[in-house]
Amino acid sequence: MSVAYREGIPALEQVHDEGGRSLGWWGMMFFIASEALIFANLIAAYLYLEIRQGGHGWRLPSEIWYPLINTIILLGSSAPIHYIAARGIEKGSQRRLIWGLLATIVMGAIFLGGQVYEYSSLISQGFTPQSQLFGSAFFTLTGFHGLHVTVGLIFLLIVFVRALNGHFTKERHFAFQAGEMYWHFVDAVWIFVFSIVYLLPLLRG
Amino acid sequence: MATSTIVERPALVRQKRFSETYIGQWLTTTDHKKIGIMYMVTAFFFFVVGGLEALLIRTQLALPDGKVLDPQTYNEIFTMHGTTMIFLFVMPMFTGLGNYVVPLMIGARDMAFPRLNAFGYWIVLFGGLFLQSSFLFHAAPDGGWFAYAPLTECGVQGVNCIPATPSINMDFWALGVLLLGISSIAGALNFVVTIFKLRAPGMTINRMPLFVWMTLVTSFLLLFALPSLTAASGLLLLDRHLGTHFYQAAFNGDPLLWQHLFWSFGHPEVYILILPAFGIVSEVLPVFSRKPIFGYTFVAWSGVAIGFLSFTVWAHHMFAVGLPVVAQAFFATSTTLIAIPTAVKIFNWLATLYGGKLSFKTPMLFALGFVAMFLIGGLNGVALAIVPFDYQVTDSYFVIAHLHYVLFGGAVFAIFAAIFYWFPKMTGKLLNERLGQIQFWLMLIGVNVTFFPMHILGLLGMPRRIYTYAPDLGWNELNLLETVGAFIIAAAILVFLFNFVTSLRQGQPAGSDPWDAFTLEWDTASPPEPYNFKTIPVVRSRRPFYDKKNPETADWKVAVH
Repeated sequence: MSVAYREGIPALEQVHDEGGRSLGWWGMMFFIASEALIFANLIAAYLYLEIRQGGHGWRLPSEIWYPLINTIILLGSSAPIHYIAARGIEKGSQRRLIWGLLATIVMGAIFLGGQVYEYSSLISQGFTPQSQLFGSAFFTLTGFHGLHVTVGLIFLLIVFVRALNGHFTKERHFAFQAGEMYWHFVDAVWIFVFSIVYLLPLLRG
Repeated sequence: MATSTIVERPALVRQKRFSETYIGQWLTTTDHKKIGIMYMVTAFFFFVVGGLEALLIRTQLALPDGKVLDPQTYNEIFTMHGTTMIFLFVMPMFTGLGNYVVPLMIGARDMAFPRLNAFGYWIVLFGGLFLQSSFLFHAAPDGGWFAYAPLTECGVQGVNCIPATPSINMDFWALGVLLLGISSIAGALNFVVTIFKLRAPGMTINRMPLFVWMTLVTSFLLLFALPSLTAASGLLLLDRHLGTHFYQAAFNGDPLLWQHLFWSFGHPEVYILILPAFGIVSEVLPVFSRKPIFGYTFVAWSGVAIGFLSFTVWAHHMFAVGLPVVAQAFFATSTTLIAIPTAVKIFNWLATLYGGKLSFKTPMLFALGFVAMFLIGGLNGVALAIVPFDYQVTDSYFVIAHLHYVLFGGAVFAIFAAIFYWFPKMTGKLLNERLGQIQFWLMLIGVNVTFFPMHILGLLGMPRRIYTYAPDLGWNELNLLETVGAFIIAAAILVFLFNFVTSLRQGQPAGSDPWDAFTLEWDTASPPEPYNFKTIPVVRSRRPFYDKKNPETADWKVAVH
């Protein structure tokens, strides 16, 4: 903390408090905005390359059902962290915080496992990042998202361990809140990635 | 509560911790002022490094058939010159200035996230050392500062790939800019939250000093532009090491994708390098004209307009690649449009000077030099927006002339205005005025002798980035002249370094307010206490410190703000 903190000066937020969201909330928000722009750039690159290649649409050699179920699991994982964990800790319930986090972490891990399974089946069909441009674009975009799911899971696991140790109270639980924000972001951005990679080719028929 | 008061406690007598020793205080600090100074010192170190690289370039080009550098070394030197000056000098310098000045200007006690702030600084330092360390491995980046694919493709042979630059040179570049990008994002979101959330009571958005405004716009540009560079260099690394094909035409990839991604970062980037300079000049000119800035609202919002427009102009760097005519017309138009908010600023600065009691101290000289030099750089920039003309001079020395007028004549002049203006606040000492004046005139002459002939060389067809030239092309005299100019600039920098060292040791004491300034940072001790303000000030106009010193004619009594 700053020197001012140590000398017993009221915390920055108290000095300037104008109500509204905390500093951390805003910081996290702008960080997420910047992350979202990386995804936007990768999606733009994906579409650009697809169109430049003739615009016939890039279709995966596999069925859509498996990724669709995976998508439902990932999007569903936002529910327990919000409706159980966040609502719980706002009322001071440690138990609901822990169980909500656990449910989300498990669902996130299932998604990640599903992605690994999908990758391995694609690679066994000869569809790899090196085999063709579509492979490069597909594995990079979904892989970058998978990386974010992984980071989000690590984030939530740390929060989970801290929750087990009782670090969070009704008033003070920003680390949890930041983790929740990040997880929602990872979910929301998947909607875009999924739409571009899996749904768009279906539209073209 | 509108204000709060500090209770100073007597220090207890005990063993010093590491964080309390002199070195430890700097290494462990989270104080925005100390971090700001570290940023600036680091940036100046890299300025000297980049400057030495520039001198090598000019020495090589002084005479035709130069033998000072071999072609490979020349490529490395000009790549590192550009990369160093942009990512390791101008950007950290403005981050450092902003770090030091912005919290003081808005009446805050620190940045919103002090530890994130320190993190950003250390990443810049180590990212910069990482980039420069490539020289030790004979693997300095050699693909130019914009690293065009496919010239930079393929580090690993074998995996479906034709290696263009098989060694690790460009890996240093790609990893280096990724690292520096992390630092810039950390710094930018810190500025945004600080400026939005930590302003003193009464410091409304429309009363913020213009340097704060421009730092805010710059921070948004960083947040939204840097992701393009992150994506671009990430894909480059994948191509080079994982065998993907993003930029490889042979595998249906597209080298132009690199240019689109890079320049959609690169063009906001050039405004990232110049908007804080606009802010500095908008602070310095009023104080040394003894007038408030003319047209505050227009100066502020034209900065915002430039910020928005800067995202719509990237392909003017790519006219020569064969874009569709519609795209060329669009990007030529949007580029010309940017001249409007920029000219609004120039006219506001001139109107600020008009009728003022001008005092030509060194900060003022550099600010005036900025306006003049930036005007030249702006005008030849508009010329480059005209597509047929751009076809003629693109990738020639005309472009080098343009970018050095805006970056050296612009950004560097503003940086020296800022250093001379705020040095007394940071150290309590004044820089020597006479040496400052000598430095200014040397620099002004040096810049024009170095960079003006480049316009003519460009029109005569001298391409950029050639490592030497034949003696019968008619370029000899002007090249020699430019080299002389480069050494005049070097002399000016030596004068500054001498001034800096001597003034730091035995400079004239400055007092807390040597310039009779207007803004809150001068309402503190020089240098300020770690907590900046004992009592958080209450702001009632755009010139709070002027109000405090002149209660009879305070702005909030005579003008509506």
